[in-house]
Amino acid sequence: MTRLLNKPLKAFALFALVILTISIPIYVLVIDYIWTSELDENNWLTLEHTKQRLQSKQFAQAEIESINHIWGELQPGISIVKATTKVVFQDSVYEAIRPNEFDLDDGEDRFRGLKSLIEINGEHYILTIETNVEESDETFAAVAAITFVFFIILIIGFILLNRNIAAKTWQPFYKTLSSLKSFELSIDKSIQLPESDIQEFQELNQSLHQLISNSVSTFQQQKSFTENASHELQTPIALLKSKMDLLIQQKGISSEISEILNSIEAPLSRLSRINKNLLLLAKVENHQYSDQQQIDIKEYLESTISLFEDYLDEKQLQMSTSKEESLMVYANSFLIETLIHNLFSNAIRHTVRRGQINIYTYENSIKVSNTGKESLDKTSLFERFSNTSKNKVSSGLGLAIIREIANKYQWQVRYDFENGFHNFIVKF
Amino acid sequence: MKILIIEDEQELAQDMVKFLSTEQYLCECAFDHQAALEKIHGYEYDCILLDLMLPGGDGLSILEELKRLNKHDGVIIISAKNSIEDKVKGLKLGADDYLAKPFHQAELAARIESLIRRKQFDSNNVIIQNELSIDINAKAVSVHDQGLRLTKKEYELLLFFIGNKNRVLSKGALAEHLSGDFADMFDSHDFVYAHVKNLKRKLKEKDYGNYIKTIYGTGYKWEQ
Repeated sequence: MTRLLNKPLKAFALFALVILTISIPIYVLVIDYIWTSELDENNWLTLEHTKQRLQSKQFAQAEIESINHIWGELQPGISIVKATTKVVFQDSVYEAIRPNEFDLDDGEDRFRGLKSLIEINGEHYILTIETNVEESDETFAAVAAITFVFFIILIIGFILLNRNIAAKTWQPFYKTLSSLKSFELSIDKSIQLPESDIQEFQELNQSLHQLISNSVSTFQQQKSFTENASHELQTPIALLKSKMDLLIQQKGISSEISEILNSIEAPLSRLSRINKNLLLLAKVENHQYSDQQQIDIKEYLESTISLFEDYLDEKQLQMSTSKEESLMVYANSFLIETLIHNLFSNAIRHTVRRGQINIYTYENSIKVSNTGKESLDKTSLFERFSNTSKNKVSSGLGLAIIREIANKYQWQVRYDFENGFHNFIVKF
Repeated sequence: MKILIIEDEQELAQDMVKFLSTEQYLCECAFDHQAALEKIHGYEYDCILLDLMLPGGDGLSILEELKRLNKHDGVIIISAKNSIEDKVKGLKLGADDYLAKPFHQAELAARIESLIRRKQFDSNNVIIQNELSIDINAKAVSVHDQGLRLTKKEYELLLFFIGNKNRVLSKGALAEHLSGDFADMFDSHDFVYAHVKNLKRKLKEKDYGNYIKTIYGTGYKWEQ
């Protein structure tokens, strides 16, 4: 994964490299053109000047030859030679490469020349002026070297600027990112996003705000819906129950009706249980039950065992508990009681007749094990209503409540299956 | 004996009246806060059943008003809120008991019976039922002046039956009375049979009449 800001850096560097590389031959061509045209102009000026002077002085042929000789001795770039043919030609420009007489290492030199026909005392002479020009390969090398240096400077500049931009301009973006990472719908009610003077970031933050506040309010609505719905259901359930109580008091009920009445009792009590549990879940989610105290889990376990005694006996379950001293936690007593009741009733309900239930207490955890045939589905086990298909009694919420209570106190709940035992472990 | 039912759900209040009304009890109802205040100002009750969520005011303020009037009517809070804070607050404000909705009417009747008995006989609280006598304070039962050893569950069942004489008690109501709130976590309440069977056997052994009748498919009834 590449960080956002490194992407344009690479592209910029590559683009700069391409442009600068293309610019090298263009520079060379332009410099060469300026060079040659300046030199041609210079040659022409010198030629015109020399022509004028030579013609005004009316030199004899011998004199001209001696001038040429002197020029040849003193300044080899200029010469005047008698024209061998009587061909009249216009001024002509030429280029010549010659070996360097003085510096052998330099190799060859490039010359720019101008030839012109001049008539002195009726004789025709050819006047030649040559000037040394910088070779284009040398220009090329120099331009390339300079361009490379600038390229390096450019890259260093890009990196420094990039860091600077990352540190300053993109800061709100990274802050937004980190607040989003730490945001939790079930805990936080709103999100704090940094202010930014950059339009895009401001828009991003506004959209995020919108999105999150919508989610939060939907979540709240959902939670309060569950709570309100179960509140509303309580009264009709209470009425149903009281009507049932009145109904069974009636005299002369036939055994058929009596049986039907009896079979209403179980679903009615399940309905009541589901509703109670939904309400409890909603209340835990809404951060009620906030008062806390020191609780000895061991004590609660013992009282729960005696409360559930009848149900243990009824299914002829074997029960064993480990003899630890005590296990103290700081939590809400009602929630602890609920947690333990749910763990217990869960184990009792799902153990076959004459099965075994073991309760272990450790330094900071409890384990409830009961005999079972095969491992349960770990992924959905603690979800609401995940396992209600066959079981007629379960509210489908027992384990969800256990997880919700554990979440509230940041405890860990784990399930595993080992040697024919379902193990539910709560780590405080 | 007079019972005041303060409950905004009229249907439920009337069910309670129907269930509780015997030659022993006279029930009155108040359906809102104002009516409840008027009743407690004007009359004395042996027991008040108080719903906490009332139109026109908080049920807890009625407890405060009773305290202010220096009245000692027994109060049982019956609330759908099932919140621990309300329970604690209510008991602190002088309520005697707390019953969460939904409840079995038989459970309510037993609680009322027990409350009234506590209020009336502070030191010498003995129930006499034919040749059976139950000393509530000592938790001792005797038949024909002979001690009868009962388990805790059997003792509780006996009191529950006597508090609900001539009423049909469903297995569910009996199980809930014995195991408390979480009885509905289980599908089978067969243990109730075992306890009732043992209780009947022990009473029979002491030559006590067979008053506990099995109602086919429904439950039991103490017939007298």
